[in-house]
Amino acid sequence: MLALRLTRGARPAVQLRRLLVAVASAGTGFLLLCTLGHALSHPDDPAASLLRLAWCLTPLAATVYFAVAVARTDPGTRPRPGLAAIGLGPARLMAVSATTTALSCTLGSMLALLVFLHLRGDLTGLPFDGAAAHALAADSPLPLPATVTLLSLVPAIASVSAAMTLRPQGAKGMFGTRWRGSLRRPDARQAAGGAFGRPSAGIRATGAAPVPRKGGTTPAPVRAAHVPTATPATPQPDPDLTHTTAPPPTPDGLPWGITILAAGLATEAYAIQAGNPPGLTLPGGTATAPAVLIGWLLTALGLALAGPGLTHLCGHLLQSARPGPLRLLAGRILMAEATRIGRPLGVVCAVASAAYAVITLYDTADPSFGPLTLLGAALVSGCTVATLLTAALEAKQARADTTAALLRLGAPTAMLRSVAALRAGALLTVFVPLTLAVARLAALPLAR
Amino acid sequence: MVAPPDNDVLWARALHFQHHDGSPALSGVSLGVREGEILAVSGPRGSGKTTLLRCLSGLTPAQRGEVWFNSVPVHTMGTLTRERLRRDRFGWIDPVPVLVPELNVWENAALPLMLRGTSRRRAKTSAVEWLERLDIGDSIRKRPHQLHQAERQRVCIARALAPAPSILFADEPTAPLHRADRAHVLRTLTTAARSHGITVVLATHDAETAALADRTVSLLDGRCVTTVHLPPVAETEGRAACSLSV
Repeated sequence: MLALRLTRGARPAVQLRRLLVAVASAGTGFLLLCTLGHALSHPDDPAASLLRLAWCLTPLAATVYFAVAVARTDPGTRPRPGLAAIGLGPARLMAVSATTTALSCTLGSMLALLVFLHLRGDLTGLPFDGAAAHALAADSPLPLPATVTLLSLVPAIASVSAAMTLRPQGAKGMFGTRWRGSLRRPDARQAAGGAFGRPSAGIRATGAAPVPRKGGTTPAPVRAAHVPTATPATPQPDPDLTHTTAPPPTPDGLPWGITILAAGLATEAYAIQAGNPPGLTLPGGTATAPAVLIGWLLTALGLALAGPGLTHLCGHLLQSARPGPLRLLAGRILMAEATRIGRPLGVVCAVASAAYAVITLYDTADPSFGPLTLLGAALVSGCTVATLLTAALEAKQARADTTAALLRLGAPTAMLRSVAALRAGALLTVFVPLTLAVARLAALPLAR
Repeated sequence: MVAPPDNDVLWARALHFQHHDGSPALSGVSLGVREGEILAVSGPRGSGKTTLLRCLSGLTPAQRGEVWFNSVPVHTMGTLTRERLRRDRFGWIDPVPVLVPELNVWENAALPLMLRGTSRRRAKTSAVEWLERLDIGDSIRKRPHQLHQAERQRVCIARALAPAPSILFADEPTAPLHRADRAHVLRTLTTAARSHGITVVLATHDAETAALADRTVSLLDGRCVTTVHLPPVAETEGRAACSLSV
């Protein structure tokens, strides 16, 4: 019940994020059900159905990744001093977070089932009744256990992953467990390790001067009580040990990432050179050698691994050589946020390079993308981009009190905006050419 | 609009402020701050000290009333002008040290100077000078998370003093510290301010801290009071009633 109440009371932006999770979950659920439909209508070809099911793993992974990112930024399920005082500590909040994730994903699964039944012609009264009745095996009854299993995949995996990500880690201090995300969450330390905080912190934060927030998203005071961190009603510093937590360690995956990336590219080139017979059908309908696919997977993994290291390097270069305040702040923040931003950025680059390679490959050949392939591609790209944006939002939330302190010092808001723009520009300068180069290299052996 | 007295560097008249939820914070506070003095704004928690400092420093515009700085009206300034005024003329110390965690100690202390456009070398020289005066000269390359809370608060004080502000607003700068650290921090702050002629407005609820100031303004429930007349606390109010009724 508490999860429902917290879900209902959230702000529109948070609801929008949850709605996006529901949409992603609906898309994945629909793809899984379509696989079931294919299996029902082709009982003599289980290998093709299995292959389709295997291809569904990619959107499934992207959806779960996105759901976990949204759960991490959810202000409704983050530690708060008031709730911790009445016994709703990190462990209970983890359960609440998992429930919220399961709720949005289940909503999406239900939506997928409705659309599926509608397209099969089982539900009538709307346009496009039974539009895909033939492809979805409308003549045979839908097996209930298979449907339920497929539809519960996304909610189950997503909520378990969210719980694992947000689980309280280890016992620390006399105030119980330490929240896993507490390195990044401004008020988490207040709840978890707040032994040194001023006792009247909550009262002070809500009672002191609420300043109109920039950007015109000032919530009603009642809402501000619901979501205290996302809406810093007053830029009072958090009365916690603001900087006692060590910064996240320098990401060290860059050499590994580059190695795996190179190995992937080499595998691809070698597979084509060796003239392996095309034994695997891509979703687009083109046959290709399995080794090429392995090469692509390795390339994607390498990009995802190299992302944090590259971001850190980018920040390091940005703040080197006698920087002024602009470059100093932008570079150092980029270095500190390398892991959080770099990982989803690497994934986005991998997806983008794959998309680029696929587009250049299929441009000349017979373009035989089915609607389901397009749906899957849209899901994967949408989820990864949304995850990147959510990670950026998480970084912004985590830095809220430092930003407020800078503003109290009199740092111009225009300068803070240019710092953000400089960071984005530096990342684009590094990652766009990299993506293009990887995509070209990946498509090169296949195009010949 | 009455022009303020000439000898006051900061002058406020009939400041009124109400929070968004309707709870009153300031109701008609007037005060003047003379140049080079250390003025303590004392009062219990919830008496409006922080709000008064925020209104005086231009962080929050007061809803009614006037604030004049050196015969310039602050209450009619726009956001950008107030921001520039804060950057160029005012310093601010928070109750808890909020440093930029990614920058090291000297970069944190030099940040306001660099924001003003001072060159990196000169900003560093000035910041390091202040850090040495405040006894943290040997850890200028450390990150904030490697310091103790009191050291971080001293870095904050160095950061506020390094640009040589006209007025320094210190909002309970010693609230999270133990008594030994508290005395050290306060002594360095007041000594630095007196030797450099910096006007300090110091919010505190502590009578010992207020005793270090030249002058004290007492706030109670958002009003300036000269003498506090509260009814004496009845120690055994509830107990006496109970024993009578039984």
